[in-house]
Amino acid sequence: MKQTQGVFFSGYVTIQVIGHHPELFFDLCAKKGVTVWNVKKRENTVCTGNIFLKDISLVKSLRRRTIYKITFLHKKGAPFLSRRILSKKPLLISLFLSILFVTFLSNIVWDVQVKGVHPEIEKRITKQLNEYGIYPGAMKFKLESPGEIQKKLLDDIPELLWVGVNEKGTTFHLEGVEKTVVDEREEHGPNHLIAKKEGVIVDMFVAKGQPIVKVNDFVEKGDLLVSGVLGKKNEETSKDEEGKKVNRGELVEAEGEIIAKTWYESEVTIPLKANYDILTGDSINKYFLTFGKFNLQIWGFKNPEYNQVQMELNERKFQFFQWDLPIGFVTQKVQEKELRRVERTQEEAVEAGIKQAKNNLQNKLGHEAEISFEKVLHERIENGKVKLILYFTARENIAITQPISQGD
Amino acid sequence: MKKLQQKIGNWLTEHLELPPDVVLELPRITTIGQIHAYIENHHGLILFSDNELRLKMKQGYLKITGNKFVLKMMLPEEILLEGTIKEIVFIED
Repeated sequence: MKQTQGVFFSGYVTIQVIGHHPELFFDLCAKKGVTVWNVKKRENTVCTGNIFLKDISLVKSLRRRTIYKITFLHKKGAPFLSRRILSKKPLLISLFLSILFVTFLSNIVWDVQVKGVHPEIEKRITKQLNEYGIYPGAMKFKLESPGEIQKKLLDDIPELLWVGVNEKGTTFHLEGVEKTVVDEREEHGPNHLIAKKEGVIVDMFVAKGQPIVKVNDFVEKGDLLVSGVLGKKNEETSKDEEGKKVNRGELVEAEGEIIAKTWYESEVTIPLKANYDILTGDSINKYFLTFGKFNLQIWGFKNPEYNQVQMELNERKFQFFQWDLPIGFVTQKVQEKELRRVERTQEEAVEAGIKQAKNNLQNKLGHEAEISFEKVLHERIENGKVKLILYFTARENIAITQPISQGD
Repeated sequence: MKKLQQKIGNWLTEHLELPPDVVLELPRITTIGQIHAYIENHHGLILFSDNELRLKMKQGYLKITGNKFVLKMMLPEEILLEGTIKEIVFIED
């Protein structure tokens, strides 16, 4: 039966042979190498059978030498089907148009959903997205990748702690997490303030609680600064010793800022020579249509005279329903780059090092801390780099809360 | 001469275990129940109708009777018959 497999694709015809002993004609065909199948005897002088499309001319030439009459009954298979479809131009055109239409619709943003944030922020996100060009009805291939949108959103809306941008088919799902700026101390119960690092106290602002230390005191890490127990000191100590016995001291939630002078040592290494690239800000965009691996440029033919360039590629695939088509739209951003070479003297390097270390420290301590540079403890040049050990002092709030155990 | 050829053929199949259908040019008929008959090595079709198929052999004829016969496939020297087979008869001339 192997011979008659896949007959649909090669196409076949049913022929009717009329004549005396019509089956002998099929026998003749078979002898000449024509595959014949489904031979049926309809009547005494009528026989039908199937032959391949490619054998028709051979069969016709065989018939010429005989007295049989052949009529073609059915034409079946892909070649006939395709010919029939091809002959129906309106159908074909409408099919093509509908595919085009679906492709077009698949490349449109239909919905933007924002979840997990307050309506107020939601509105701002939607507004920002509008600015980026993401709104229901926008063409998708012009948009940036979700990762980039995510980054931009985080930069532009400082209230957002995190935002997840997920492109699912024609819908953009955004999930945001807001920064909660809630004072968590509200319901904390009584606590002390203790020192989080060692330092010399410079200033004290105690809103609640009983201060234990004074200005110019040196405190170590973990020392009690402001007590949450109101009343006399000795009473408090007796409470500590005897447990629940003393109820005199009223427990409060100590609040306040203890500004202390703290000191830090930091180590930085600054190279004397440095190369770095900067973007001059000049850039042009080039646009391509991609078909598989072939790129066809459609816009931005100007080739600027940049010495050094940095390329940024953003590729968007056209989509058909949820599938990516091998056709895409590529935006290539060519940015001019400049190579800067910096050679520093030792003094300049030290200066840069101090600045860098100060910035690092500021980042670590938060913007409320005042940092002042004291002096360079150690300085040495090694392999073209200046290694510095620097000494800083800072004025910062060293108070942190420590809950008072209620003792039961 | 023909007899000698046949004798050699018989001897070959008996002693060298060569397939007899090839050596003796006899038809090989494979039937599946009574619905299919697959005939190889025939020497041409003589008659085919709804209830009878007659094939030429080297010597004599092969007659298959039954009903609802359809030739499912025809290749040179091979025929696949489908239908309800009643009997297979060898007719020598």
